[in-house]
Amino acid sequence: MKNALITLFAFTFVGTALAVAEIGKPAPDFTATDIHGKAIKLSDYKGKIVVLESYNLDCPFCHNHYSTGAMQALQKDLTSNGVIFLVVNSVSASHPSHRTTDAARKEWADQKMNATAWIDDSSGKLGHKYGMRTTPQMFVIDTAGMLVYQGAIDDRPSPSGDPRTAHNYVRTTIQQLQAGEKVTVSQTKPYGCSVKYDS
Amino acid sequence: MHLILMRAILKSFSVVLLCLAGLSTQAAHTQASLILAAESAKPGDTVLAGVRLRIDHGWHTYWRNPGASGMPTKIEWQLPTGVSAGATEWPAPQKLPEEDLTTYVYTDDIVLLVPLKLAPDLKPGMLELKAKVSWLECKTLCVPGRADIEAGLTIAVETKPSKDAPLLESWLKKLPRKGNTISPRAWWEKPAISNLRPLLIEWTAPKEATPVDFFPDGYDHFEVRPNAQRVPASAGKICLRVEVKKFEGDWPKEISGLLIQNPGGQQLAYEASLSIQPFGPALTASCSSETPTGPVLATPSLLKMFFNAFIGGLILNVMPCVLPVIALKILGFVGQAKDEPRRVRQLGLIYTLGVLLSFLILAALVIGVKATGHRAGWGMQFGNPQFLVVLVVVVTLVALNLFGLFEVNLSANVMDAAGSLASRHGAPGAFFNGVLATVLATPCTAPFLGIALGFAFTQVSGMIVLMFMVMGLGLAAPYLLLSWYPACLKFLPKPGAWTERFKVAMGFPMLATAIWLFSLITLYYGSRSWWLGIFLVILSLAAWVYGQFVQRSRTYRRFGLITALVVLVVGYLYALEGQLDWRLPGVETKAEGLHQSVPDGIAWQRWSPDAVASARAQGRPVFVDFTADWCLTCQVNNRIAIDIPSVRAKLKAIDAASLLGDYTRLPDDITTELNRYGRAGVPLVLVFPKDPEKPPIVLPELLTSRIVLTALEQAGR
Repeated sequence: MKNALITLFAFTFVGTALAVAEIGKPAPDFTATDIHGKAIKLSDYKGKIVVLESYNLDCPFCHNHYSTGAMQALQKDLTSNGVIFLVVNSVSASHPSHRTTDAARKEWADQKMNATAWIDDSSGKLGHKYGMRTTPQMFVIDTAGMLVYQGAIDDRPSPSGDPRTAHNYVRTTIQQLQAGEKVTVSQTKPYGCSVKYDS
Repeated sequence: MHLILMRAILKSFSVVLLCLAGLSTQAAHTQASLILAAESAKPGDTVLAGVRLRIDHGWHTYWRNPGASGMPTKIEWQLPTGVSAGATEWPAPQKLPEEDLTTYVYTDDIVLLVPLKLAPDLKPGMLELKAKVSWLECKTLCVPGRADIEAGLTIAVETKPSKDAPLLESWLKKLPRKGNTISPRAWWEKPAISNLRPLLIEWTAPKEATPVDFFPDGYDHFEVRPNAQRVPASAGKICLRVEVKKFEGDWPKEISGLLIQNPGGQQLAYEASLSIQPFGPALTASCSSETPTGPVLATPSLLKMFFNAFIGGLILNVMPCVLPVIALKILGFVGQAKDEPRRVRQLGLIYTLGVLLSFLILAALVIGVKATGHRAGWGMQFGNPQFLVVLVVVVTLVALNLFGLFEVNLSANVMDAAGSLASRHGAPGAFFNGVLATVLATPCTAPFLGIALGFAFTQVSGMIVLMFMVMGLGLAAPYLLLSWYPACLKFLPKPGAWTERFKVAMGFPMLATAIWLFSLITLYYGSRSWWLGIFLVILSLAAWVYGQFVQRSRTYRRFGLITALVVLVVGYLYALEGQLDWRLPGVETKAEGLHQSVPDGIAWQRWSPDAVASARAQGRPVFVDFTADWCLTCQVNNRIAIDIPSVRAKLKAIDAASLLGDYTRLPDDITTELNRYGRAGVPLVLVFPKDPEKPPIVLPELLTSRIVLTALEQAGR
């Protein structure tokens, strides 16, 4: 009996320790604070589609998506359609690209971002939990809380030019989800700069 | 950060200005220049060019595969007519384990080499060679860099090396060597665990060369993780285990990259392009992975093939075409449970023998057909119309027997009516059950079976026989097991009136099987087929007369027998011989051109190798579906994953040519095509990408709309 309990406990422990994002599995839950002080909990969004974007404006790939306005347009299209769009900044506090809360609020306004919220993840906890490798890297979670897409934002890994000419995987995934179809591409190789985690 | 970007932008401006002045130029932290090995060259020469990147200390640019992040340096040539650039040769990069995200980078000073080919008819004079180079440079921050570089080359009567020639020469020497000198090879170590699969790479090492590594090329649909592990190998060999992570689609068949070794601290790199073998070269493999290597037959993948064949055979038991026979067998068990176990066991063995013998005949047929040069395909007997007619008659008789129209086992010693053999409970019944199960099972190519068969058809005769035997064992296993352990039999319900009702109920799936077989026959006999229907009615009448008057009545026995025989003979002569002319099927050719299976469905074009070639020549993606009317899997695929709105829309969107290869009558050209892709039968669905250079994407046997759409998406790019 005791052994059984220990085994059970060990399994539970391993289970939680390995709760890393995987396609087709429930997306790991998280709690975080956004730059405007609001508490954010993934499970609160059950019933809605959630998009995560790993973000660092100093990365030329990300910068291009914002300077061309393509990312803001995507955010607007999605959020006006009932989708939750969370920008996740996991850049370590010791890195020059780190944003203090004030700087982040200013950037949010300057860039005219249309996302639901900007999550400060300078600890890298959320980023590691989802296995974020690059900026920009995108994640789509369906209304049942399953991770249905992870990878590149589009099929055009370039720090210049107009991203709107590319095939946007996130847009396609969400169109398919909303049409009740199967998601055709659930995983791609993310491109961009490394996340700049706390090392 | 804005400052840095501003600086980058300003520098880019200065780049443009400097370019206009025709000088070598500089971006934020990297200077790019174009250097040539020759000052002047003869027409027809190949001049070595170098794109030199001088990178500030602490910064880096990226290799052709940047790794987890970054971007490879891009060179866009702008060359005068008569000069063409070859492929860029990349020196071996450094592996940079930045945090846990490995990248492959260049630091300090690097020269990417490009051979420039001069046309033999170039006029003498001065040529301006230009290129646009773009890169990503990173330290703690990343900045995109961009430069226009140029150099002059004089076309003259003699070749004169430039002052940069020695530098280019030294970089040429540092390039990775050709991999074929160290005979590298790669094979999958194990089946995949979700989207990860270990790959073993082995090569000959001239001397002890630690540490060793593999720098993979970058791919869209999979990646090789940077955590290469050394695996013990026999003397003179090096073995590495790498993990391949798949994003989408099939497991790769080829992989390329650099094999790295460091004898005496000096890095040596070899370019290797490896085709991945499905399993290790059993006897000669030097890598000792965890799976024990034994004699050839015991290699894991061969075992896996046998396992697949066995499971495939097992699955055949529950296929709709075989299930009614299983029902007969259950009835048999109920009847025999009261017998002595020895007898039941014996019958189990006889049934297995029936299955195995039938599979042996199939194997012999395959070998024979293969030997005569004809390409064999699974389910091929279903392409034979006479066989189909006989089968329909037999199956109908079995159904009638189940309905109780006549019974052969009332008079236990009568052994004639072929159709009722299967319902008999003695040794011939058991044996015939085995045969019937096999015959009916063949068109239900279960997914497992497909792979095993594809493998078997490419093997030597002994292997084919073995594979078929294993499959037969799979089919017979449940019955054999039950007869061997009769204890399990007690879980079966007691015989009683219900068995009669159950028997009648099972007649209906049997009847459905007959109807399905009948639908195949219409393909061969066209509008004449309904005469077979008439014959089946006459046959039923004869069966009823026989059952009613010969078996169940004592008064009109002789009269009944004569009537039944007359009805049968007249029916046969008139309907089958006279009207259907069953031994001479009239093959009606299907309309060539367009063909739609449902209104608004995919507008199929008839498949031919030329049709594929001409569509590809027009730069269109091509979607090919090889199917057959007797292939159930094909019909299911078509209904749920091919002729559906989303796929139709996608085909239209990428302007794909849709070609249908009809394998119903086993045309030779399609058999050849199937064998080319290692398949023994249909279904086979191919998607040829828009780019005519790219190989086709071979879709798995069981399709989902997602698989089809992904492949089309990829093909349309």
